[in-house]
Amino acid sequence: MDKSTIICRCEEISYEEIEEVLTNGATTFDDIKRLTRCGMGPCQSKICHSLVASMIHEKTNTPYFQIPLPRMRMPLSPIKLETLATNSTSFSSVKSVMDEVELEDGKVR
Amino acid sequence: MHIQHHPILGGQLHKPVTIYFNDQPYKAYEQQTVAAALMANDIKRLGLSRNLVQPRGLFCTRGRCCSCYMTVNGEDHVRTCMVKVEEGMKIYLNDEDPDVRREFCGD
Amino acid sequence: METDILIIGAGPAGLAAAFEMASKGLDVTIVDESITMGGQLNQQTQVIPSLPSSFQSMRGFELAAHLTKQLEEYDIRYLLGHRVIGFYKDGSVGITDEQDVFAVKAKKIIVATGAAENAVAFPKWTLPGVMTIGAAQTMINRDFVQPGKEAVIVGSSDFALDAALQLSEVGVHVKGFIEKNAGILSRDLEKIEQVKKMGIPIYLDSFIKEARGMGAVEEIEIEIGTRVLTEKVDLVCVDGGRSPILDIFYQLGCSFGYQKELGGWVPQYNHQFQTDRQDIFLAGNAAGISTQGVLLVTGMLAGINVCEAVGAITKTIADEEKDFLWKELEILETKYNPNIWEARNRHMENFAHPVIKEQFLS
Repeated sequence: MDKSTIICRCEEISYEEIEEVLTNGATTFDDIKRLTRCGMGPCQSKICHSLVASMIHEKTNTPYFQIPLPRMRMPLSPIKLETLATNSTSFSSVKSVMDEVELEDGKVR
Repeated sequence: MHIQHHPILGGQLHKPVTIYFNDQPYKAYEQQTVAAALMANDIKRLGLSRNLVQPRGLFCTRGRCCSCYMTVNGEDHVRTCMVKVEEGMKIYLNDEDPDVRREFCGD
Repeated sequence: METDILIIGAGPAGLAAAFEMASKGLDVTIVDESITMGGQLNQQTQVIPSLPSSFQSMRGFELAAHLTKQLEEYDIRYLLGHRVIGFYKDGSVGITDEQDVFAVKAKKIIVATGAAENAVAFPKWTLPGVMTIGAAQTMINRDFVQPGKEAVIVGSSDFALDAALQLSEVGVHVKGFIEKNAGILSRDLEKIEQVKKMGIPIYLDSFIKEARGMGAVEEIEIEIGTRVLTEKVDLVCVDGGRSPILDIFYQLGCSFGYQKELGGWVPQYNHQFQTDRQDIFLAGNAAGISTQGVLLVTGMLAGINVCEAVGAITKTIADEEKDFLWKELEILETKYNPNIWEARNRHMENFAHPVIKEQFLS
């Protein structure tokens, strides 16, 4: 494939940029994401993850069943902060949803 | 182009509405999404990408890819493949990062 | 809000599951991002091959209407135009109606989120006018919009052939199929014949070398073996296959296994269509990409298993119904896709040994 081909439409990360980090030792989608911003745009890797998996497979000879899924975070699709902050009467939704995010011993949810 | 006579589903476009794209009026029908109605009027470029400033348009029609982001009735980054047209709707291209509007800045 | 059962996804599997459970008296809530029930069936105008024996032959949108209608007599809570955006620590589902976010607590959840289309990348595939085959089908059959005048289709699956035929029917000139493999992927000989009769060329061992255009796609270069063909097109429909939509399973902490024939990573599940999170069941394409008839049967099976799990029916009745449905599933799936049936069985056998388990650790 032409090296200038865009793989991640949102952050506009090219084949070449992903190839480079794979050459430098990246092995998973999340490695590539941290190094290039691939998959960090509004679609949150919904479109590029399968293309990236093929690249990992081709460049590193890793079988597909050893290429883990990208981490999928809340909110699962784009939502207005105004909606997340909400007019809910029962509780503050921002607090309840966002409080689920916690850090302990490197374990990230 | 609107499909007025569908070979299997027949004619189903009954309720026309007027939408405004870049302040120009266009004909759409009630059950259509914003992105589809614009496509019927031959408007395919819905915005520009943020880094390389390249055209973007409808891609997945499932609300997943976000390529169809536009500004609709004053709201930025609306997934126009998921929102139906309404009479008088004002639609603008998603060509650059939105200005932070002072009235929404909080206290 | 509280409910016995929450079904996420109002496509064929979700609606079939809803019928099984509502007809046994359970309190059922269905959430779907679309305001129309039936999921992707709504833009399928082709006749659906091989439906379960209790169904007459019909087109996709007719099936959607049928499934919707058979729920009419039951008191089901519909959260249409609502999205699941996450989960709370106590297991409640965070749902938004775009104004508010609220929590729904369910005793059991059936996740029937369906499939997403995979992308196909080539230089300038980001140009407007390049879209998935599902998107093109949605334009013509749901929104009644012709997405272009001259098109090519990248891919040659059943789905790609259907999309091409339907595009032709509404007056789009389909100039060819571009298949990267050495053979046509579809096994539907009748449809292949139909496409050939229409004079649409199928280029094998070929790919799009480049797309060009100012503001939208105007021209593509197709590499076919050693030659390069330039075609003027304003629509490129890409078919990269489909994969289960997994984000909800991921957030719920379900395990996954890999089965290429089922669409790649699939939530791990057992013969009860139950994931390794005991209260989470699944159905439809989320349990492995298959044909519409099979999706319905997986929905029915998930529904009956949930009924049994909450004590709405006895084990004897459940076993009887399940035996019958598993036989149907085998017949429907082996008829067109014996590989999928085998992969599904392999996948269920792997239940105790998922490949991805602690996915939050990485």
